[in-house]
Amino acid sequence: MHEPGQEEKTYVLNFGPQHPSTHGVLRVELQMEGEFITKAAPDIGYGHRGHEHMAENRNYQQFLPNMGRVDYLHALAYNQGYCMAVEKLTGLEVPERAEFIRVITAELNRIASHLLWVGAYLLDLGAFTPFLYCFDDRENILDLLDRVTGSRLTYCYYRFGGVPKDIDDEFMAGCRAFITRLRGRFKDYDDLVTKNIIFIKRTRDIGVISKEQCVRYGLTGPMVRGSGIPYDIRKSEPYSVYPRFDFEIPIGERGDIMDRYLVRIREMAQSLRIIEQALDKLPDGPIMAEKVPKRIKPAAGEVYQAVETARGEFGCYIVSEGDIKPYRIKLRVPSFGNLSILPEIAVDTLVADLVAILGSIDVVVPEIDR
Amino acid sequence: MLSERIKKALALLKLEKVEGGDYGKTGYHVEAAADPGQMPEVAKAMLAEGCFLESLTAVDYPAHFTLVYHFASYEELCRTVVHAKLDKRLMATSITAVYPAANWYEREVYDLFGIKFAGHPDLRRILLPLEADFHPLRKDFGATASNA
Amino acid sequence: MDNLVRILGTDLGRMLAGLIGVIALVSVNALFLIWMERKVAAHMQLRPGPMEVGWHGAIQTIADALKLMGKELITPAEVDRSVYLLAPIVVFLPVLLSFLVIPFSQTLVIRDMNVGVLLILAFAALTVLAILMAGWASNNKYAVFGSIRSVAQNVAYEIPLLITVMSPILMVGSYRLTDIVAAQEKFWFIVSQPLAFILYITCATAETNRAPFDLPEAESELVAGFHTEYSGMRFGLFFLAEYTNMFIVAALATIFFLGGWRGPVLPGWVWFLLKVYAIIFLIMWFRWTFPRVRFDQLITFAWKILIPLAFANLLLTALVMKLM
Repeated sequence: MHEPGQEEKTYVLNFGPQHPSTHGVLRVELQMEGEFITKAAPDIGYGHRGHEHMAENRNYQQFLPNMGRVDYLHALAYNQGYCMAVEKLTGLEVPERAEFIRVITAELNRIASHLLWVGAYLLDLGAFTPFLYCFDDRENILDLLDRVTGSRLTYCYYRFGGVPKDIDDEFMAGCRAFITRLRGRFKDYDDLVTKNIIFIKRTRDIGVISKEQCVRYGLTGPMVRGSGIPYDIRKSEPYSVYPRFDFEIPIGERGDIMDRYLVRIREMAQSLRIIEQALDKLPDGPIMAEKVPKRIKPAAGEVYQAVETARGEFGCYIVSEGDIKPYRIKLRVPSFGNLSILPEIAVDTLVADLVAILGSIDVVVPEIDR
Repeated sequence: MLSERIKKALALLKLEKVEGGDYGKTGYHVEAAADPGQMPEVAKAMLAEGCFLESLTAVDYPAHFTLVYHFASYEELCRTVVHAKLDKRLMATSITAVYPAANWYEREVYDLFGIKFAGHPDLRRILLPLEADFHPLRKDFGATASNA
Repeated sequence: MDNLVRILGTDLGRMLAGLIGVIALVSVNALFLIWMERKVAAHMQLRPGPMEVGWHGAIQTIADALKLMGKELITPAEVDRSVYLLAPIVVFLPVLLSFLVIPFSQTLVIRDMNVGVLLILAFAALTVLAILMAGWASNNKYAVFGSIRSVAQNVAYEIPLLITVMSPILMVGSYRLTDIVAAQEKFWFIVSQPLAFILYITCATAETNRAPFDLPEAESELVAGFHTEYSGMRFGLFFLAEYTNMFIVAALATIFFLGGWRGPVLPGWVWFLLKVYAIIFLIMWFRWTFPRVRFDQLITFAWKILIPLAFANLLLTALVMKLM
C-alpha cells in the first residue's frame, strides 16, 4: 500500500510460474506501466533437479538416462552430445551404421521438437487449430521412434560406442512415408499460418535481435540464424556423419519473431532432406563398437563436445580424474543463454508481445533449470 | 586463421599460458590459463575478435577452484578455453560488463559453488531457492546417491 | 382451457409464457452451441470431439453442466464480495431481456416494440458493466486487465456496430424489427448492403469477445481474463451469457441482412434458426482459424478502419436513398 496522494505509475505483474504461456515453471517478474512492460526479470530454477551434481555421484553409464530428461523435447541430441563426449574421452570408435542411425533418429527428434514448438507457439498467439495439426504429424514421429528406442519422450537410446538396437525395414518404410507426408503438409501450414495477416502483424518486427546482441549474449540455434548468422554446429563444427549430407542452413534477415519462425519451418524441410539421404546411403555393418569396456574409466583430462539441438548449442564439458565417475560435468544448455536476452528485448513491449517473444525463444524450462 | 589471431591477442595480455589445443582430443583450438583478475581483459580481447561466451563454469579441486571459460565464434570454427585458478578464499572478477551473457553464468557459479564475483551487478542465487544455505557442487557438500 | 387461453391472451400472460420460453430456449441453445462448438472445432482439427455421452456426444454438455453445478463455489478471500457475487447475474439479465423483441417468425415475438433495435443494443452495452464488475471485484491483476481490455474493446466496437446497422434502418425507416424483416420481401439486405454485413459480423465478433478478438479472456496472456477467479456455476453463468450473446448478435444479423424468418416451404421459425446457426457457425469458424490480434491493433482497427468504413457506408446509403 502507498500513501494517499502519492502517485504510483508502475506495478508488478507476476507472469508465472503457473501460467499457460510460460511452458513449464518459469516465472517472469514484470514491472508494468499500463499494458507496457518497463522491466522483465526472469526467475528460473523452479525445476532444478541437480543433474550436474547427480553426474558426480554416478558412473558414466548411470548418468546416461539423465540425458533424456534435461531437454525432453530433443532428448536424442543430448544423448548424442554426452555419448560423443565420453567416446572422445575414451577414444571409442563408433561404427558407421550406428552414426547413420543416430543421425536419422536425432533428426526425426528435431522435427518432432520443431513441430511441437510451432503448435505451442501458435497456441500462445491464440490460434488453436495448428496445434492439433502439428501434434497429428508429431504423433507419427513418436510412433517411429517408439519402435526403435522403446520410449516416446525421454529417450535413452544411444550407448557409448553405438546404438543398442538396429533399425528395421518397417522403420525405414515408415520414415519414407513420413517424409512424403510432412512435405505435403508444409503447404497447409503456409496457407493457414504464414500467410495469415494477423500472424504477420503479430510477428513482423517484434522482438528484433541484432547480430551484435547475439554475440554479447552468446545466443545459439534458431535465435542467431533468425538474425542472419549461419551458425549451426552441424555445419560450423561438423560432427558425426553430417558432412556427408547435402543440406542448407536457413537464415533470416531481420532477426524478428517471424524470421525465427520461418527458420524453424525451413529447418524441418532440411532435416527431412538429411533423413532421406541417410536412408539412401545407410551402410551395412555392426551397430556397436567391438571392444566397449564394461567399466568406462577414462584417463584424466577434459573434453568439450558441442552438438546442435533444436534450440541451439548443447555443450557437454566433462572433467575426468581417471575415475569411473566423472569429476565434473557441465551441461551448457542453449535455452539458458537464449533466455538471458529476454530482459533486454522485452522492455517497452506489450504483455501480448512478451508472450510472442518468450514463445519465439523456444525455451524448455527443465533444460534451463537442469 | 582465427586461432592464430586469438593467440596473438591473448599473448599481449601476458597470461600464464597460451597455446594451441588438441582439437581431436579435447575440442579446443586454443588453450589458455589466466589469473581470475585478468578475465575482463581476456573477455575484451575475445569480444574484439568477435567471439561469444559459450559457457562459464567452475570445477572444485581440493586446493583451489578453477573457473573455466569457453569462447567460440559464429564465423569460424575456433573454440578457446581459458582456465583461471582461484584461491578458495578469494573473489573472482566479473566479466558481465563485457559479456551480458556472463551475468547468469556467474550467478549460476555463485549459486552452485559459492564463488563471488567482484563487479557483478546482481549476484543472487539463480537455480536454488534464495534462502538455501549450501553450494551443492562443492566437493565437501557430499550427498552421494547412497546417502542423499 | 378457456381460462388458459384468456390468460395467455393478456399482455402479462404473454410475457410470462415468453419468459418461460426464453429461459428454456437460452438453456437449450447454450447446451447445443457448446456441443456444436466442440464438434466444429474437433472436425476442423481432424479429431472426432466428444463421442461418449449420447449420440456423437450429444448430451455431453448436459453432463458438463451437471458437473459445473456440483462444483464448489469458491469466493476468494480478498474480493469485493457484493460486487463479485452480483456480476454473474448482471451479465446474464440483459442478455435474457434482449429476447423480448426478437421476432422468431411473423407472429412469434414476445413484444413487438417500435424501438426494438435500440433496446437490444442498449442491453448489449450493459454486458460491459458486468465484465468490469467481475474483473474489478476479483482483486486479481489478470482479471482487472481482462475487464479493462473488455471495456475499451466494447466501447470501440459499439460505435461501428451502431453506425453499421443504421444503414438498413435508413432503408426501412423503422426501428421495429418486424418492419425490417418485412422490408426484405424482394431481396435480402445482404445483397444491397454487403459491406455493412461484413462490418457487422466483424463488430459482432468483437462485441461478443470471440476470437480473434477474444482479448478480455486471452488465455495465453491473461490466464482467463475477467473470470479468472470464478468457479462452478458462477463461471457457468458467464459462459452461458457468452453463448447467448452469440445467439443474439447472430439473430440480429439474420434480421438485418438475411431476411429474418423468410424462406420457402419450411415454417418461419425454422428458417430463422437455420440462418442464426449458420451465422454462428461462421463466427466459430473464425475462432478456430485465426490467431489473436494484439490489443493496440484491435483498437486501431476499430477507430481507423471500421468506423470510417461504417460512416462511408451510411453516407452512401443516404445518398442512394436520396437519389432514388
